[in-house]
This record gives sequence, C-alpha cells and structure tokens, in this order.
Amino acid sequence: MSETAASLASPTPAAPAGLPWRRWASQAGAVMRLDLRKGFRRPVGLLLLAAAPIAIALIRVVFSAHAVHERADVAEGTNFYAWMYQILILRLELFLAGVAVFGNLIRREVLDRTLHYYFLSPIRRELLVAAKYLTGVLVTFTLFGISTVISFVLAYLPHDWTAVSPFLFHGPGLRQLGSYLLVTFLACVGYGAVFLALGFFFKSPAVPALGMFGWESIHFLLPPLLKQASVIHYLQSLCPVPIPEGPLAVLSDAPSPWVSVVGLLVLAVILVAVSGWRIRRMEISYDES
Amino acid sequence: MSATVTEKQRVIFENVSKFYGEVLGVNRVSLSIPPGITGLVGPNGSGKTTLMNLMVGLLRPSRGRISVLGMDSQRPEEFFRHVGYSTQYDAFPPGLNGSQFIRSYLRVHGFGAAEAEAMTWKALERVGLTEAAGRKVAGYSKGMRQRVKLAQAICHQPSVLVLDEPLNGLDPMARAEVISLFRELADGGLHVIVSSHILHEVDLISDQVVLIHGGYVVAEGDIANVRDEMEEEHPAQVSIRCDRPALLASRVFAQDSVMEARIDDDGKGVLVRTRDADRFHLLLNQVVLENGLTIEAVAPADADVNAVYQYLIGSNGEKS
Ligand SMILES: Nc1ncnc2c1ncn2[C@@H]1O[C@H](COP(=O)(O)OP(=O)(O)OP(=O)(O)O)[C@@H](O)[C@H]1O
Ligand SMILES: [Mg+2]
Repeated sequence: MSETAASLASPTPAAPAGLPWRRWASQAGAVMRLDLRKGFRRPVGLLLLAAAPIAIALIRVVFSAHAVHERADVAEGTNFYAWMYQILILRLELFLAGVAVFGNLIRREVLDRTLHYYFLSPIRRELLVAAKYLTGVLVTFTLFGISTVISFVLAYLPHDWTAVSPFLFHGPGLRQLGSYLLVTFLACVGYGAVFLALGFFFKSPAVPALGMFGWESIHFLLPPLLKQASVIHYLQSLCPVPIPEGPLAVLSDAPSPWVSVVGLLVLAVILVAVSGWRIRRMEISYDES
Repeated sequence: MSATVTEKQRVIFENVSKFYGEVLGVNRVSLSIPPGITGLVGPNGSGKTTLMNLMVGLLRPSRGRISVLGMDSQRPEEFFRHVGYSTQYDAFPPGLNGSQFIRSYLRVHGFGAAEAEAMTWKALERVGLTEAAGRKVAGYSKGMRQRVKLAQAICHQPSVLVLDEPLNGLDPMARAEVISLFRELADGGLHVIVSSHILHEVDLISDQVVLIHGGYVVAEGDIANVRDEMEEEHPAQVSIRCDRPALLASRVFAQDSVMEARIDDDGKGVLVRTRDADRFHLLLNQVVLENGLTIEAVAPADADVNAVYQYLIGSNGEKS
C-alpha cells in the first residue's frame, strides 16, 4: 500500500494479519453466527416441515397392526419410505424450505431495513452472499438431514428385527440411507442456490417459486432434453429406490450419479456467483417496500 | 483552499447526480470537503441522505465521480476500514443487545474475539452507553438508538465519519456530549460529516457548512459571516422549556439582542427570537444561575430553514 488514506489518517487498527483466506473465513464465520442468531431464532415453520415425515412414520408405527401387512418383509418398509421421501420430503418439503429460507436470506434484510449493516462493513459483498448461502445450507440440511434419518429408522421399526438387522448391516439398508442423505444435502444446495439467485431478479419469492414448482411437477412429462433443465431430474436419479411415475411419464435415461452430483454442485456454484455479481450492484433503497 | 491538501485528504464529489427513476435525488453536486466538522444542512427531502448514501456507496451515482480520501466505495473490503456511517434508518438486527450489536459488527470486520470485545466497550463508553449495553437494542429510546448507531460508526476508529441526523432525538445534555465528541474526533484529524435540517444546530459546531436544497448544493464553505449577516434579517429562534417561563421571558426581553420572547401556549416554556444566538446563550446561562431556574430543554426552533434559503439563494427556494 503506497501513500493511501490509511497511512495518512488517524489510528486505524490493522486488519487481522495473515492471508485474505483467513480473514474471509473469520468474516464469513461472523456473518453466519449473526445470521443464525437473528434469522433463525424461531424457525417454527421449518421445524413443522421437518417434523411432518417423522409424524407420518410414527403414525404408521402406532397403527402397524393395520398399516403393516408383512412384518418379516422389509421391502414393505423400503417401499413406504421411498414414496414418502420422494413425494413428501424431496418434492414438497425441501422445495418449500428452499423458497422460505433462501428466498428470504436477502429479502428479509431489506424488509427489516437491516441490510445496510452488512453493506457498511469491510466485507466483500460476494463473500457476504456466500456466507449467507452457507448458513441456509447448514440450517436446512441439519433440520432435514435429521428428519431424513429419523423417519428412515421409523419406517423399519414395525418390522421384525431379525429381518431389519441383516438388511441394515449386511444388505443395502445403510447405503440407501446414505443415498437419501446425499439427496437431501444436494436438494438444500441446489434449490437453495436457485432461490437465492431468483431472489435477486424477483421482488417476491412467490412468483418464481410457483413457476418453478409447476415446472418441477410436470418434470415426468417433459421430453428428455427439457428434463435436463430441472433440478428434480438429477435428485430423483440419485434416490436409491425408484417409484413408478405413472403411465403418462416420458421415459429417458437417468443421468449417471457422478453427472448428477457434480452437475448440481456446479449449478450451485454458478448461481451463487450470479448472486454475488448481482449483490455487488445492489443499492440500498428501502422505500419501495 | 490550501494547495497542499491532496485528493487523498478530501471527500470529493465531481458533478454527481442521482436520480431515483424519474425522481431527482441530487443534481450536479461538486464538493471538496477537507478534514474537520462539516455540516450538511437542508430541509426534509433536500437530498442529505441521498448525498451521504452516495458518499459511502449504498447508492451509485447516475452521473459523476465520488472519491473519499482517494478510496473507491465499490471496494467495501478496503473502504469501510476507514469510513464509519451512522444511517438515518432506525432499524436494528432483531434480538441483539447493545454490546452484541457492536461486537457482531466488529467480528464481521474480521477482528478477533478479544480485540472486538475491547473495541466494543471502548466505543460504548465514548457514547455513554455502557450501562444500557446489556439491554436489547429494540427496546432502546430514540436517543439511545442514536448513540448506539454512533458507537457503531466510530468503533473501528475510522478516518471519515458520516452521520445522518445524529443529533435528532438527543436531549440537550446528550447533544452537548455528542458534539464535544465530534469536536474531539475532528481535532484528531478526522472528517466528521454531520447532517441536519436545522441550520442553527450545526453551524456553530461546524468548520464548514454545505447547504443543500431541492437536490442542489446552494452554498458551501465557512458561513460564519453569512450567518451574522443573516441574523439581521432572519433572527434565530430558541425554544426553552423551564419551570418559570414568565420570569425568564421578562429577564431576557430586557436585552437588546432579544427581539421577542413569547410564552408557549401550555405555559411551560418560552420561544425567543434573537439576532445573536451566541450572546443569547450566554445571557440564558446567567439568568438561569441568578434565578435558580430549572431548565428542561433548550433547542433551536428554526425548523423552517426555507427562510435561510430564501435569503441565501435570493429566491423562494422552489425546485427548478
Ligand atoms: N428510494 C427512493 N425512491 C424514490 N425517491 C427517493 C428515494 N429516496 C429518496 N427519494 C427522493 O429523493 C429526494 C431526496 O431525499 P433524501 O432522503 O435524500 O432527503 P433528506 O434531505 O435526507 O430528507 P430528510 O430530512 O427527510 O431525511 C426526495 O425528493 C425523496 O423523495
Ligand atoms: Mg434524510
């Protein structure tokens, strides 16, 4: 630094020493702690969403006398969970959580008129948006990861342990759970990035959310080329137990797991980068809201 | 203007305009602000906040160039190490108390826990808020909110302080304390830029004044002389709330610097019109001491600065 304002001016404390990476990490950490503290103090809606599959699986346990036909056959539990996961958790809850959490990361700060506190700090705005995104991923994956695991376990509870134990520990059970967790994680990452970025182009998250929901819902009817332009296409292909899509579905080759995982991660990086580019140009103008 | 002060020591606006769509924010503003206290004065809607938001990069100019000590506000990671801004927005991140609020802000700067802690308490002490530090900011009074915003603006020891209506809502005692803090900081070489819609509130404390009206800068510089002249035609108004207004009115009215002393409708204060505000304040002190009056508040009552502008720009002050 040559003769700049810093050297001329009064005692400005030196920035914490070290590589920018270390400072960025500590700044991102500070943003995440602050966001957790003020943004997710009472996440009632999220908790209810995450509790719903657990409640449904519990009801099945309680009424297992009627709900479960063959206690010795774990396939029934596997099938039940596959339906519940893909329809309820993946298509509905993770999608809604993405809208609610990521669509509001920046928007809520604008509505609360608090965004300027971040904009008045010596933090790169790209870093700010990335830190907020990571907070969202952390919160949603923690809640829905736990929900995924508990409801998975509950799905097998009505079945005989003599059948469940070999399925879990010597069969595909734990690997299936791992796959479901991976899908939950990638859904948080993917839908999160989509709704974070859309938030910079739409005033209210409801409009793009409805459009996106429609698009993702008719996914199974889309021709193969268009299928590739939906998030659910990749997430669904990673689910360990397929569920039938009905007679109207247009069949197409499922992408390979690597394509799905890497593709979703790359998509997320691109969308967070787009958000960073948008937030750099953002002005504080609370008045319209 | 001294030729030795370079761009790196000044806040510079070069022909800056800002439009909100069709609405004019500020137009063709050119300024060169040296260190010291600068008062930015204008009536509601004249463009003070717009000018300050432009200065710190919360807004981007539609036209023109801005430089703050040679720094570019579009690189916040550098800029806000040296600039502190207390906004007019009176909203706070929910759930935080006074010290958490400052500490979190310093942690976002990248300061370590111990360092941030020490700087937090230093800043809170400077604005006299240590006792309320444990209370939720959301429950603060207007004056306390002003002070916690001030603490946030100064906590990282910036070289440029931009304060949007920092005196608004402060009682006379707090006001005097805050003003002496400004003086102290300015004497240490800082730029302290303070906005107000009351000319008489800032012209006494400012080293230079920028008058803005309808988005245009109508006067800039040392206006002490202008003020003296102005008081001939446009007496200053001071409102005093006290226990025995009739006594106060009769004592001060005897002085020739006082043109009028009118008792408030509720009988609990006096409105004084004076040609010489400095002399009047000395006189007021004397009267209070001699008669043991209890003063609740003393405040400039020139809310309508349009009179000043009419005088300064020789028009009715309408936007052109
Ligand atoms: N976000 C916005 N959108 C549209 N117009 C705006 C916006 N913000 C300010 N303006 C307009 O710009 C002009 C200047 O406003 P500004 O807030 O800068 O004035 P001010 O001097 O700070 O007023 P006050 O004393 O009330 O704080 C006003 O006419 C105002 O209506
Ligand atoms: Mg304003």
